[in-house]
Amino acid sequence: MSQTNNQVCAARAADVLLRALGGCSVRLRMLAPAVPADPTEQLGLATPEFQDLALAPVVCRKARAAVNGNQLSTDQAARWDLLVSATAVEKLVGSLAYASASVLFANACGVLTGEGAELLEILSATQEPLLGRPYVYRLLVRAPLAQAV
Amino acid sequence: MQNAKDTFYTMLQGRLAALNPARTIVLRGLERPGTLVEENELPTAQVPVDAFRLQWTALQVTSASPLRWVAMECSIEYATDGSPGNGGMDRGRLLAAMDAELAAALGAEPHAVAKMNYANAGSGSSVTAMGTNIFWADPVFAAAAAAGERLQRTATVRVFAYQEAGEL
Repeated sequence: MSQTNNQVCAARAADVLLRALGGCSVRLRMLAPAVPADPTEQLGLATPEFQDLALAPVVCRKARAAVNGNQLSTDQAARWDLLVSATAVEKLVGSLAYASASVLFANACGVLTGEGAELLEILSATQEPLLGRPYVYRLLVRAPLAQAV
Repeated sequence: MQNAKDTFYTMLQGRLAALNPARTIVLRGLERPGTLVEENELPTAQVPVDAFRLQWTALQVTSASPLRWVAMECSIEYATDGSPGNGGMDRGRLLAAMDAELAAALGAEPHAVAKMNYANAGSGSSVTAMGTNIFWADPVFAAAAAAGERLQRTATVRVFAYQEAGEL
């Protein structure tokens, strides 16, 4: 699908805004493809390989605490919203030959926000579209339960 | 116990693949027979359909005999949405086909195979046969459940093995 001028402008404007708001780089942790004819991975004996792919610009903000009725969620692990450039996501989808961004995020093991940072679990991935084409993606991520206080 | 679980999975995967080689799944970019053990895969919210998913649930160990006797319960879940080309209206037939494949694979003789040790399979060493067999009973099929357009069923089979000396 070819992009209209409006869609290109929206994506570029979103990229500029993300950079202006202190856009950083995060890494998407993906599983490397399985090893053919290796039964040990199917038996849980071998650990699969991982690869970290850079995504930038990204703006990270603390998400609001989840509320269930009048009670706070029992899951007290910290959550963040990541606003991710659609341009960067589209490049990754194209280079890895995924069908769509939702498939890419569904196959990701998590997000790393820096060196030595814990792996954040992707809870949901949504997009903000203009005329059907996304200009920014929003990832809701959660810290590991072991980090919950 | 782990060797018995691995042996049962490998046996079942081989028999199901021989019955229907076209039943395959793509997992992490690799096409393989449509049988998997959930505890050996990465946790995911996505449920693969038209495939058999094994879960090891109950466990009983009897130490009355010199070799401990282990009884394990394997829960085999499978589901289908039908064919997209048929609007999912063939999902009952596809579930029946999976019922038949599983019943044939577990009902085929012999009901026992030699227990294998896969611990060194990844380091270039071959899989070694152990001194005892594993056995299994006939499967018990639960009622089919419908969730939207998805039809699913769970079959339970009890697997028995001797725990050999030094075996984990």
